Amino acid sequence: MGLTELRERTEALIATVPDEDDFTSRLRSPAVAARVGVWLGLCFGVCFITGLISHEAYVTHPFIAFPTRPVNLYRVTQGLHVISGTAAIPLLLVKLWAVFPKLLARPPKSVRHLLVEALERTSIAALVAASIFQLASGLFNAAQWYPWHFHFRATHYSVAWIAIGSLIVHIAVKLPLIRDVLGADIESGVHDRASMTGTPPISRRALVRGALTASSVAVLTQAGSTIPLLRKVSVFSPRSGNGPGHLPVNRTAHGAGCVAAALSTDYRLTLTYGTKQMVFTRAELEQLRQRTHDLPIACVEGWSKNATWTGVRLRDLLDQVGAPRGKDVKATSLQTRGAFGTTTLPSQFVDDPLTLLALGLNGETLPLDHGYPARLIAPDRPGVLQTKWITQLEVLA
Amino acid sequence: MTALRGFLIALGVGIAVWGVHVLLGLGRHNLIAALTWLVGGVVLHDGVLAPITIAVFFVISRVARRPLPVPVIVGGLVLSTVTLLASPTILRLGLIKDNDSLLDRNYTVGWLVFAGLTLLIVTAATLRGRRSTKEGHDGAHPGRR
Repeated sequence: MGLTELRERTEALIATVPDEDDFTSRLRSPAVAARVGVWLGLCFGVCFITGLISHEAYVTHPFIAFPTRPVNLYRVTQGLHVISGTAAIPLLLVKLWAVFPKLLARPPKSVRHLLVEALERTSIAALVAASIFQLASGLFNAAQWYPWHFHFRATHYSVAWIAIGSLIVHIAVKLPLIRDVLGADIESGVHDRASMTGTPPISRRALVRGALTASSVAVLTQAGSTIPLLRKVSVFSPRSGNGPGHLPVNRTAHGAGCVAAALSTDYRLTLTYGTKQMVFTRAELEQLRQRTHDLPIACVEGWSKNATWTGVRLRDLLDQVGAPRGKDVKATSLQTRGAFGTTTLPSQFVDDPLTLLALGLNGETLPLDHGYPARLIAPDRPGVLQTKWITQLEVLA
Repeated sequence: MTALRGFLIALGVGIAVWGVHVLLGLGRHNLIAALTWLVGGVVLHDGVLAPITIAVFFVISRVARRPLPVPVIVGGLVLSTVTLLASPTILRLGLIKDNDSLLDRNYTVGWLVFAGLTLLIVTAATLRGRRSTKEGHDGAHPGRR
């Protein structure tokens, strides 16, 4: 095959791919994309800010020390994070549908325009890839399905910056266009392609309302594990709110590989501060002054539920070894499998009067899957850091 | 306006570059896994989901003799997007055998109820729309319900 023939064949092949102008629907317009985009941008903004809060709550030494009050703060911010992410999915699908013809637009001929277009397309590729990545990985995580090999929390966090950064670039590039189309009536032809001649079966206004309806319905059917009032209508919520002790479980004792150790009569809790050490059996812990507090379990997947916890105030326990205030505490679990087997509780949580080494849940003995013989429960902490099956507490220097 | 746009572009690029820096810091293995998903998501959307949507619309527009009523299109949009995003839960992809508190609903029944309810609302809205159009044409006050 000669070079000319190859070029002709390539050109013929490209000509078979639909062009931007082959899409004639008036619905795939900047007027629709900008309006859906405003709502989508709002969801992304809420997701980003609540995501940063969640990140702060996870790291031991964050930029700003995470507060212990209000006790429901993390519950609310993480619930909002998952809800706004869920709401964003139908909006992103409609937005991508509206701008799909752009993907097939033929590149401009002049080198200068080609360069500008290449830069813009790079930023849009980054935005679309990061957006799909964030929403898909977040959705799967909320459904507790982890079919990937990357570190979820760290990767979701880094890609969030890429998504927000490229979103800001996108808004800046499109600003004059956004201003024009939002300033005009939605059905007006401002910035429409000349080829948009088809009469769609619904108006643009109806399409935007449909996207918002889909987004609201998505939230209603999913958010029951976050908002107790929705528990009955959320038919697609991964949790109904039930479980041992009327509380759901993320990781079971079997999954953590610690059933035998947790049920063993040899179980001891070791408390260490410098050279001082005390060892307690569960019966001895029960002899100490017991306190009862209502505190929520709030997980990164967005589910949360309030529960009544009974146990020893952590501060009281630390006083027994003479540990001063203002010290972090390292908690070690009996678990042999899975992450977060060892966690560090920052000093503001250690010294909080509500923080317990819980022995009981909702008026019963702490169920095995909730951390029997003893677990940590502190106000305003992500669930996975409320370490279960605790065998060692070490006051850090 | 130009200054604001310039500032926003610089800010956005700075933020995105920081994200890339953090991502690169997570190691080569993590980067390859993340890139697979970043590229895979776009390929699945642009190469599979978008063409399927176009094909479905094409078939429907050929089969239906007249334009579809608005409630049917909105109902289809709601049903398809909500089903897509509920699919990991409906298919119980994250099922853990020893955890009864996870994925503890009958999601098939849930989906049937959801689809049935959507169908009911779409039918009611379509009939109502037809009646009001008819009244609008026949009556003395066009458009009044």
